[in-house]
Amino acid sequence: MIDNHTQRLSLTLGHLYPDQLNLYGDRGNILVLRRRCQQRGIELRVVGLGIGDALAPDEYDMLFIGGGQDKEQAPVAQDLYDLKGIGLWAAVEDDMPVLAVCGGFQLLAHYYRPANGPDMRGLGVFDAWTIHKGPRTQRCIGDIAISWNGKILVGFENHGGRTYLGTSKPLGKVLKGYGNNAEDATEGAIYRNTFGTYMHGSLLPKNPHFADYLISLALQRKYGANGLEQVSSTDVQAWINESAAPDRDLSTVLTPLDDTLEWEAHASLLERLGLHTAAVAALHTHSVY
Amino acid sequence: MRKQKASIRNFRRGPRLNVTRMGRGRGKATRTEDAAENEQSEQQQIPRRQRRKSLRAGLAVLGGRTAGALSRRLHVGGGTSIVGLVAQRVDPDIIGHLATQLEYGSILVTGTNGKTTTSGFIATILREAGLRVWRNREGSNLMGGIASSLVIRALPNGNLRRDGKAISIFEVDEAVVPQVVQTIPPRVAVFINLFRDQLDRYGEVDSVTARWQQAVSKLSNETILVLNADDPTTADLGQAFTGKVLYFGIDDPSLDLSKQQIGAERHQVIDTRTCSQCGNDYVYEMRFFSHIGHYYCPRCGHKRPEPDVRVLKAQPDDFDRLRLSIATSATSTSKQLHELIIPLPGIYNVYNALAAATAARALEVGWDEIATGIAQFKPIFGRGERIEVEGRTLRLLLAKNPTGFNEVLRTLFSEGTPQHVLFALNDNIADGRDISWIWDVDFERTVDHTATLVLTGTRALDLALRLKYAGVSPEKMITIPSMPLRAARRERDTHSQKNRRIKNRTNRGSKVTEQAVDAKPLRQYGIVGALNAAVRQTPVGETLFVVPTYTSLLEIHRELERRGLTPRYWEGRDS
Repeated sequence: MIDNHTQRLSLTLGHLYPDQLNLYGDRGNILVLRRRCQQRGIELRVVGLGIGDALAPDEYDMLFIGGGQDKEQAPVAQDLYDLKGIGLWAAVEDDMPVLAVCGGFQLLAHYYRPANGPDMRGLGVFDAWTIHKGPRTQRCIGDIAISWNGKILVGFENHGGRTYLGTSKPLGKVLKGYGNNAEDATEGAIYRNTFGTYMHGSLLPKNPHFADYLISLALQRKYGANGLEQVSSTDVQAWINESAAPDRDLSTVLTPLDDTLEWEAHASLLERLGLHTAAVAALHTHSVY
Repeated sequence: MRKQKASIRNFRRGPRLNVTRMGRGRGKATRTEDAAENEQSEQQQIPRRQRRKSLRAGLAVLGGRTAGALSRRLHVGGGTSIVGLVAQRVDPDIIGHLATQLEYGSILVTGTNGKTTTSGFIATILREAGLRVWRNREGSNLMGGIASSLVIRALPNGNLRRDGKAISIFEVDEAVVPQVVQTIPPRVAVFINLFRDQLDRYGEVDSVTARWQQAVSKLSNETILVLNADDPTTADLGQAFTGKVLYFGIDDPSLDLSKQQIGAERHQVIDTRTCSQCGNDYVYEMRFFSHIGHYYCPRCGHKRPEPDVRVLKAQPDDFDRLRLSIATSATSTSKQLHELIIPLPGIYNVYNALAAATAARALEVGWDEIATGIAQFKPIFGRGERIEVEGRTLRLLLAKNPTGFNEVLRTLFSEGTPQHVLFALNDNIADGRDISWIWDVDFERTVDHTATLVLTGTRALDLALRLKYAGVSPEKMITIPSMPLRAARRERDTHSQKNRRIKNRTNRGSKVTEQAVDAKPLRQYGIVGALNAAVRQTPVGETLFVVPTYTSLLEIHRELERRGLTPRYWEGRDS
């Protein structure tokens, strides 16, 4: 399963529509993934997939898709459906970690109905749909915090469309902010290892635990639980220990980094939202002080 | 009621243009004509309404100015917008009423970046040409600020002061252009550029485009449009307009990004990329920054219009001096080129000067006045302003969105010598609550180019994180946020946790924790503390570059004012 001659672990990230969907600092997410891999001796290659490019799922270990303006989203929606749909579906069903933010999240649901113009067909990865109720409805704008997996994620949201979940599970529960539709306190959606969310800000810099979670999902999928043990025979010290145990918290298999600044920024946003207990907990758990 | 509104609108439009052409004294006569028109539509009540109107306008002026005086006395806010807000509250029609009395009419200046500098250039040029220039105060460019600029020049009888040859320059926020042109029809409307800025406030770039198109469709064809040929969205505004349009642009191939350092192009943020006519992607023959350049659409052939005023050559004389050679559609030989010296750095200021020169040409001001006016321009309020502080020179360079920030960084680090820098990032409403744009700024340029670096503002920690991921090592920057983390303080105050902390420290004993402990007692908070730290770190005789967002600039200014180093910005130096 693993090539024992490889000296380094490596991952390939497919960045969908880097030129069209780059509205809210999406570059930050890519930067964070790249650097957090780099610091652990994992090579992360980033491949841009623009309009007209096909998506071959075997070539990637992770996918990212950002958000854009309505005008730019329409041609992207068409291309996503026509050229990348099957590949992306295969990747999703094969448990590839996929992060879709804002517009990208909307395009992975059934459809996006803009304020004017025809519906944009999505891939239907999530059983969800989005409706923009016209320029008169208030946009959902502001800082946001959600609980995810017993932990907290913080970010900024800015979307006109309201997303409603069918059978899909939400990414988390809104603690402060609007979330999918400002009505049911859900935020984002999860299907297998595919995560849709409205949170940018950028999302990953202030949520290092989520960034590491994505990286470890990708590593585990590529090298496998057993593979990871074999990895330890290479020069990557991080993988020694009992990393093969199936039910352990994935993010702990990665070498811890000095995330003082990350958690301070995370905590400061929680404080701005009035979530003081959570802020203390965040600093405390990560023993910054 | 509705009928009456319509006639008021006529009343606004008609007399202004007449006044412009005929000069002083004509206003009154036209107003009587309008009153006659009013009389036809709704008889009887007119005299009473007229009387009530001017009474109300007078009250509005009084109320507004009182509020302004109070706000200044109490140091609540800048005191610039409140005058107009209160006056409008008393008389919602106050702006329209006063605008009809502008003798030489008004110039509207809008765009994402460069509004204040461009209107500053226009002001110095027009003053050079012998006009009396009125402006709204820097940064007060929403309806309230524009109302203020008129109200402070009005008398308690509800009429404008009559200070001969007055022309008004209104710097207008992108989003309120339609409302402003409806109330104050401009003689010249200048559109400088459109970038992404404060997306949380404006929604998206496209919605601003729609508002601008709406505004242009409302203009009378006696207005002259001044448009940036190199910015696709801005240039397109001229297509449907039936009046006169003047385009400005740059024709200097040496400014093309591809000819500059490698990699510069990679990090550009592009906000307009598709053809407005057919939706195909634009192709650029030359690109100066972001989406500004010589573009064309390969599918439908839509392309950049030929500029009427164009820069053939722009070369730096010094860090903050640029020399331009300008040709107009009238020049045929190289002898007829016009030379301009801009006392400011950066390609964005080339566009600002060019926009101002073109607007002045629209008013038929001569090139001599234009050249003298621009050369004499003093940088204003955070746009390259230079202040002496304790033997160091402070340069304030406002940066409020990714394109503006990238251009500032490009100018700052172009020489390769390490600089002393203070970045201040706030997320107040006037800055935009969303700061994710900092991830689109090319902070990678900063790496190894700073001698000292201080970060501050309400989102200083986010900025520190951004710089960390850009590759700046944490030891090289000092972060001084506006507020201390409460959680951190609580942790520090609790004994049990203190013990645990010490245990942790001994367990880990890592370098970073030790440093954090050392740094802690020295930490000061707030922008003022950061400013002090940055000044102290800068050796005497050297320059400290301060790059703040809008409200952090206000805070820095307030502190400098307190020390008597700069004039109070609300004491209108233009009136």
